[in-house]
Amino acid sequence: MTEAPVFAVVGHPNKGKSSVVATLSQNDAIAIALEPGTTRHSQAYPLRVDGEVLYTLVDTPGFQRPRQVLEWLQAHSLSASDRAETVAAFVRQHRDEPRFHDECELLTPLVEGAGIIYVVDGSVPYSTENESEMTILRWTGQPSLALINSIGCDDYSDDWHKALGQFFQVVRKFNAVTAPFNQHLSLLKAFGQLEPAWETVLDQAVMHLSDQRAQRKEQAARLIATALEDMMGWQEKRTLTTGQLTGTSRETLAEDLRQRWYQHQRQREQSLRLAIEQLYQHHRIQRQEAELAWHSEHDLFSETSRQTWGVSKAYLATAGFGAGAIGGAGIDAIALGSSLGTGALIGGLLGAAGSYFYGDRLSLPVLRIGPLSHGLQTASFGPVQDSQFGYVVLGRAVDHWWQVSHRNHAGRDLLDLEPTDRHWLEDLEPEYRHEIQRAFTRCRKQCSLSSDQRHRLTMAVEAALDTYGQWRQARG
Amino acid sequence: MSEHPLTLLLEFDDQVRRDQHQAPAFLHRRDRKYALEADDGLAPRQWLAHLHRLSGRPPGQTDKRLARWRRITLGFAVAGALLGILAMLGLLFYDGSGRINLTVILGFILLQLLLATATTVQAFAGWRPWGWLVDRYTRRSGEIASVLTRLHPQLLARAAHGGGLLFGLTGLATLLLLVVVQDLAFGWSTTLDTGAPAYHHWVQTLAWPWQSLWPAAVPDADLVASTRFFRAGTPPPIDAARWGDWWPFVAMAWSCYLVLPRMLLLGLAQVHLRLRARRLLVGHPGFTALRYRMETPILDTGSTEEAIHQAPALSAHADLQPCPDSPVVIRWAGAGEPVLPDDFTANAHRQVLSAGGAATLEDDRHAIQQARLVLASRAEPSATLLTRAWEPPTAELEDFLTLARDQWPEGTLICLVPLATDCLRRPSETQLAQWLRFAERQADPRLQVSVHQTPDLANRAVEGQS
Repeated sequence: MTEAPVFAVVGHPNKGKSSVVATLSQNDAIAIALEPGTTRHSQAYPLRVDGEVLYTLVDTPGFQRPRQVLEWLQAHSLSASDRAETVAAFVRQHRDEPRFHDECELLTPLVEGAGIIYVVDGSVPYSTENESEMTILRWTGQPSLALINSIGCDDYSDDWHKALGQFFQVVRKFNAVTAPFNQHLSLLKAFGQLEPAWETVLDQAVMHLSDQRAQRKEQAARLIATALEDMMGWQEKRTLTTGQLTGTSRETLAEDLRQRWYQHQRQREQSLRLAIEQLYQHHRIQRQEAELAWHSEHDLFSETSRQTWGVSKAYLATAGFGAGAIGGAGIDAIALGSSLGTGALIGGLLGAAGSYFYGDRLSLPVLRIGPLSHGLQTASFGPVQDSQFGYVVLGRAVDHWWQVSHRNHAGRDLLDLEPTDRHWLEDLEPEYRHEIQRAFTRCRKQCSLSSDQRHRLTMAVEAALDTYGQWRQARG
Repeated sequence: MSEHPLTLLLEFDDQVRRDQHQAPAFLHRRDRKYALEADDGLAPRQWLAHLHRLSGRPPGQTDKRLARWRRITLGFAVAGALLGILAMLGLLFYDGSGRINLTVILGFILLQLLLATATTVQAFAGWRPWGWLVDRYTRRSGEIASVLTRLHPQLLARAAHGGGLLFGLTGLATLLLLVVVQDLAFGWSTTLDTGAPAYHHWVQTLAWPWQSLWPAAVPDADLVASTRFFRAGTPPPIDAARWGDWWPFVAMAWSCYLVLPRMLLLGLAQVHLRLRARRLLVGHPGFTALRYRMETPILDTGSTEEAIHQAPALSAHADLQPCPDSPVVIRWAGAGEPVLPDDFTANAHRQVLSAGGAATLEDDRHAIQQARLVLASRAEPSATLLTRAWEPPTAELEDFLTLARDQWPEGTLICLVPLATDCLRRPSETQLAQWLRFAERQADPRLQVSVHQTPDLANRAVEGQS
């Protein structure tokens, strides 16, 4: 078994080394700030598969005194053949010297055999200042790759590309904040090309990461399906004595239960948000206060949300027809087909009509007061009787998933969930629409879903995730 | 851990439900760890045994649900046993005014056979004609949403065949009892134009299965011919004992065409139930997910590694100061390239030097010496150090300033002027802030940060004054 490759991410201070590591290691805990010296110690981030390390990324401090280091190296080297050894000697000699602390930290992994990932900022002009650093790195004799990470808006990457090409085996552009996932994989493959012995292990890593991505989408669909089931079937209950009931007006009781019902739904949606973010290893999105800003703008129960995420009457009618037809087909089955499909037709028409006439209002669940039993009465509120509510929750959840799954771990911007301007669910295959509609109907009747029904709903939600992704892609 | 596939399926379904609220990462870790360490196979039975062993969970819910079905099966059995007695008593009702019609008994047996077949067909087709009734009974327990619902046709078929078998057995016992205690007179009668030979042929065909086993139970042509009766008219004289000779045939027909099929179909229902339970387990969504978790490696991307970086304070307390007209301007690391602003170009009163960046350390020292010569002759010496605003100040600049402070006249004002990529624009506030913080960290009262008065800024200042 060959030793797992190590890649040291090095460069000038404040050029996005930590951002690159944060994105590739999916770690949003790495501090990234526009200040040199944020990273003072090397930190290793291994990729483990079943506990076995495939490769390790090492985040390092930036060069602080490259010209002094280079002067020392030149003074102690006789020929090109002793350069790597001279760099090792430098590290040994200055290991405990605070003056060269950062240089020793970044050169140590290279001396130990790590590959070089040199990061520069392509949004600022090329500077010959970097040549001391690049020369030192070349002296280590390690396989090397340069990354042009554009932090700002300007683009000087062509100049950088030409200059870096003279020092490094491979030069790639990679924006740590915006690069899509397939670019992460492509970059990892490029790491593997630096050294033949690393290629297989990096290919394996790419395969595992792709699988993980697909698995996460499935899991996200399951989380969303579970939340939909919970929220569509939620009923708020309160047990009251006869005295309490007579002392409280029906309106007050309804308002109280309504508020609690809303509160629960909001909390449930929040827990779904957190679960999706944790699934994608984003643990700090809330600290950016994105949720608060977003919720004040687009509340779950606001009219804006309904108009944005709800579906059209035509959509509901189609989905309702499908769900009704399946129910009607049961009658045909009982009649051993002698009804010639009339059951399916009638069921479909009834389903479509019901969805068409009652589907355009986000009607709220009504208050119900149960019979008196042992001096107590139970008042209940919910579940919501309008499928539109489910589509509102689904639309918001899918959009949130998309944003989170496409967000790199170096990103520090506010997660702004802008509402879209059309009903993308209409692009969903009819089969999946019916499945979702059927599950909603079952939930609001408070019939829990069987494992199989839940599985089918999860598959339909997964299809919705794909549809939304394609729709976003087409939208650009 | 039960060996029965039905119990296994229910326990598996329960576990999948319990797992529903667990974090996916936890489930993956748990099951992958089990798969890597298990040495007794990865089948659901072993997996469940492993989980139950760890949690010390006794079987509970599963037993309750199955007990409910045991009660349903028992209900069918009791009803079948009672109905079997009653049905046989009804069939053999004999008040001396007529004969017990064999054709009716054979028709009843045929009906039972059809019912048994229909029960099996509905089980294989998955129909639930009594589903609504069972649902009402099981709804309270929450069973309605469990995987057991999908086994209702098979469970009902098993219960029905159990009841049918007991129906046949108690009917047979009743027949034998009545044969012993009563004088039964069998005959055959039909309105159809059927002669005794045809009836005999038909009866012999029915008796074929046991003709070698019990020849006495196969009626001969004489018995058939002599025991035909008509409700109207006078019956021909016959030996009274001959009327009772039919009972072995009736007992064997009942056993062969009612009891035996029920017995076989009950066995088939049992096997079908096991197979169906096994198939449901294999096709269970949770099973697919479990296999996937067991087979898919756990990927740790390093996100759990503790980040040890200290996020720096990003506030700056120092302010920007006016830019002095210095006799010495030093371009640090190529600042001011490609075009140096007019305010900093060399003239008779201003010397422009270069340091840092591509320059060697010797060049830096030389620049400091040259600047010292100029500054030494000034009453209020000041030097301007142009830098690239976007490049963070490094330790090399710090070293340069320390050396300069040491070499230059005491009290020399050193002014850092960060320039934007476009020298005619003011650098961004973020870029300026890092230079202000750098100046602060040096704790040097004669070190300040200024911005170049770009035409844009100058115009704004003039507009402000007017």
